[in-house]
Amino acid sequence: MTHVLGIELRRSAAIGSALILAVVGALALYFAEGIAFTDGWMQLAMSQRLFLALLWPLALAAGAWQGRREHRWKVTELFATTPRPVAQRMRPVILVMAAAVTVAYLVMGLAGGAWLIGTADYLPAPFFAVTAVGVLALVAAVWLGLAIGRLLPWLITAPALAIAGLGLLLTIPGATRPRGWLALVFSPIYEMNMPDAFATVPGRVSAAQAIWLLALAVTGVLLYAAATWRLRVAALLPVLLGAALAITVMPHGKRVVTGAIDPVAKELVCADQEPAVCLSRVHAGLMPEFLPSARQALTVLAALPGGPTRVHEDTTTYVPTRYAPWDPGVALVRLDTGQDTHLADPELALGDAVAGAFTGPPGCEDAPPLGDQLAAAYWLIGTEPPADGNGAERDRAVDVWHRLKALPGSEAQAKVVALRAAALKCTPGTALFGDAS
Amino acid sequence: MRTVTAAETAPRTYPWAVHADGLQVRAGRHMAVDGLDLALNVGVHGLLGPNGAGKTTLMRALATVLKPAGGQLSLLGEQVGGRADLRKVRRGLGYLPQQFGFYPRFTVREFVEYMAWLKEMPKTAVAGATQRAIERVGLADKADARMKTLSGGMLRRAGIAQAVVNDPEVLLLDEPTVGLDPEQRLDFRELLRDLGADSCVLVSTHLVEDVVAACGDVVMMNQGRVLFQGTPADLIAQGGDGDAGDSPAERGYSALLRRHRAVNP
Repeated sequence: MTHVLGIELRRSAAIGSALILAVVGALALYFAEGIAFTDGWMQLAMSQRLFLALLWPLALAAGAWQGRREHRWKVTELFATTPRPVAQRMRPVILVMAAAVTVAYLVMGLAGGAWLIGTADYLPAPFFAVTAVGVLALVAAVWLGLAIGRLLPWLITAPALAIAGLGLLLTIPGATRPRGWLALVFSPIYEMNMPDAFATVPGRVSAAQAIWLLALAVTGVLLYAAATWRLRVAALLPVLLGAALAITVMPHGKRVVTGAIDPVAKELVCADQEPAVCLSRVHAGLMPEFLPSARQALTVLAALPGGPTRVHEDTTTYVPTRYAPWDPGVALVRLDTGQDTHLADPELALGDAVAGAFTGPPGCEDAPPLGDQLAAAYWLIGTEPPADGNGAERDRAVDVWHRLKALPGSEAQAKVVALRAAALKCTPGTALFGDAS
Repeated sequence: MRTVTAAETAPRTYPWAVHADGLQVRAGRHMAVDGLDLALNVGVHGLLGPNGAGKTTLMRALATVLKPAGGQLSLLGEQVGGRADLRKVRRGLGYLPQQFGFYPRFTVREFVEYMAWLKEMPKTAVAGATQRAIERVGLADKADARMKTLSGGMLRRAGIAQAVVNDPEVLLLDEPTVGLDPEQRLDFRELLRDLGADSCVLVSTHLVEDVVAACGDVVMMNQGRVLFQGTPADLIAQGGDGDAGDSPAERGYSALLRRHRAVNP
């Protein structure tokens, strides 16, 4: 067996399939739509799952290609005269093809991980569950492909299966609407796009998906190794049972994954010996690059009477709406990661942190315009707000800052203090120069 | 050197390696083998007959590819047909089909090893048996070449190597000399005599000369039945100067066929 395993590893479609999947997967992670996993490991695991949209159909096709081998090379007659049962004959191919897609998926993960290794520290347990479900999805696809390739041993089977697989993944969400949780059972890519910094996949979702995919994999392998039609019909039993069980286990709600938040990722982690500066756990690796701006912001804010004395990351999420803890003594600052996984705009961090003093309480619909917040912040800092060219609010900030600068110092100071006071109370129509338009 | 298993040294309990009695086998809808009686034991048996005589269908039935539609067939003492468990019989079979399928990406050694595994040979015996089988057919210098790089004659020999790797008690070779050049055919006859020393070898061919040169026994078929079984000398004795053919054996062959056709139009 081990010897034959070696032969099959070298001579089957395993190595070629692994190479194709790993390369397509890694390229998709980096180039399909920009790098969507710059926040951390969970986002990487979810992005990998999203790109199963490509890999899942490819794995089906790879299995089908391998599955028609006996028919293609006309060895069925010769092999039919040998004593080894069909199920045993298929075992090495079953194992090497599963190993191939598993390795490919893990290599894709490593390729993504190489990008994250410098900045991402937080590795939550669901990361492993989400990855395991991804592996299981590919194993199920390649085994199902083997079975279909053996039953329909035509040249067209593999490409047709790839197209059908892609079509299936794309139609599942529409076909199951409005029961999104059904799509979540049957599609490993559903709700995996654009994961938020605090995104997670609930354990029950992964469990239900694992049940379904495991059942699909078992059916695939039984179909492939079945020698008679009676066994082939019996092979459909696991997939039916698996579907029923998975539907039962899956939480029957809306946006079960999109609306899931990892509270641990959201927890604040403060800088060593500097409890005044805290970032969410998922962004804690960015502390060294954020800390100098935060310290400087605190120095600047010390000049604002009753100003904030701490700088925290704003961990507000909107699906569902969960505001960051509010405290007038805290300047909240949103933190985004750039394509390089580092702070998206490090040169803006100081201004954004100081502007956190003028944002108002959570849910405040009447907070001062962002342009005024920034103008006040940069007036405190003492430099002109950087205009990034395409932001109307930032243009407004420059404009307002010049008007503020033209005023005598004490008058400007009074306006800034008033802006802060109004922001804290969420007073409607608040602006530095009367007009909030 | 190899270990001889207890099963191999155990006395044989069956009178014939191959025994067919009124055997009927279908090829599609046509009853290609119809009422065939045949008993074979150790030695090289040449299977002759015109196209459509049922040679390949008989070979496929003996190889357990086709199930008998009627009559009796026993291989190595085991009844074949119905719900019989063929696993034990198949361990003792070697088969080279007329259309020898193979995996072109495999090397010769890998393919023969793979076949040895399918034939459920003991793990420890596979490597040695493979090397020996490849040497026996004269492919030792091509052992690690991919199957797709082999010429037609080499492929035939690789096919024979896989058939003999398990030292089969019944060896079935369907048209094994197709694609062999004259020198290779001489080597092949030598190999056949060697193989026939301790197993029952049935060789289907159109080449009467091969049969006369390498077989101790000639079986001639027509219309799904055996019309003659005897030594090459018996075959030669059937023919006369008036019969078609360039050699005594060919004249014997055409004489037998002519007489059979006269009786069964």
